[in-house]
Amino acid sequence: MTGRRKLLLGLVGVLALEVALALKAKPEIEIGPIPQWRFSLGGHELTINSRTAVMSWLVMGIWIGAALLVRSRLREVPGRLQATFEFLTEFFQSLVTDTLGDSLGPEKSREYLPWIGSLFLFLWLSNIIGVVPGLEEPTRDLNVPVGCMLVVLTMVHTSAIRKKGLKKYIKGYLQPFPPMLPLNIIGEMAKGVSLAFRLFGNIMGGAIILLVVSALVRYVLLPVGLNLFFGLFVGTIQAFVFTMLALAYTAVAVSD
Amino acid sequence: MEGITGAELIRAAAFLGAGIAMGFGAIGPGVGEGFAAGKACEGISRNPEQAGLLTRTMLIGQAVSESTGIYSLVIALLLIFVAAK
Repeated sequence: MTGRRKLLLGLVGVLALEVALALKAKPEIEIGPIPQWRFSLGGHELTINSRTAVMSWLVMGIWIGAALLVRSRLREVPGRLQATFEFLTEFFQSLVTDTLGDSLGPEKSREYLPWIGSLFLFLWLSNIIGVVPGLEEPTRDLNVPVGCMLVVLTMVHTSAIRKKGLKKYIKGYLQPFPPMLPLNIIGEMAKGVSLAFRLFGNIMGGAIILLVVSALVRYVLLPVGLNLFFGLFVGTIQAFVFTMLALAYTAVAVSD
Repeated sequence: MEGITGAELIRAAAFLGAGIAMGFGAIGPGVGEGFAAGKACEGISRNPEQAGLLTRTMLIGQAVSESTGIYSLVIALLLIFVAAK
């Protein structure tokens, strides 16, 4: 028996065992209640979605730990880990200076690198962490994308005011003529809403499709491919799109 | 119509509405993303050395044009999990 045939036979055996086990199990589709911590503070009721909070702190902890680890062993000749981080930094540096360099200049546009880079890294790991069994994407909760969106909008408008001055910034809302003011304000708000809902919808939709299809085929084989697509591919693309749009909005806001 | 109460009618309408919202909402993004992919193919065949940049731009454009489909997905989810409760 050749090695390849043995491997094939083994795979078929595992598959058969899995099907046999799956037929015994009951399909369960459950999108359960959201686990919450409630407590009151000065007469106000506070609610924290515990799983989301724990997962997003886990993601932040992983990145902070990785950054400290890389910083503690910086070398002249980079190792594998350091090379990865250097590649990431250079990639985002060129992205930021390409997009913002025209209107802000290379020196000032580099100030945006830490913000853009950490936004991408946080969202990326948040989107793909659901591939690990037992962990859940924090971006599946609408609160996390909305929080990131608020940060982005604050950053966009602050940098616009800093670049143009308050008077010119307000004048920008009266373009092309003053009655367009409400339309311009709604347009600004729609930017943020679409940014947040795009991320949330993609991750939540992927998670639900994964759950439903997994229950239908009783966890045999198909969820692996679906996890690859919805977890890794869509997660990476959406994190990149969120970051690129944040950058593009900033570029539009600071250009005159 | 024996035995069908108002609440069940609302549930049925919510599920039907979710299906309709998702079905019609998927048309626009499907056409738009296909158009973007086709144009990107044309661009790559004309200018193969720019394939990386073209693919990146195409993916971002597709993700943006997908957002209308995502809105209908969110509305369908709301109908299924909130309105049909």
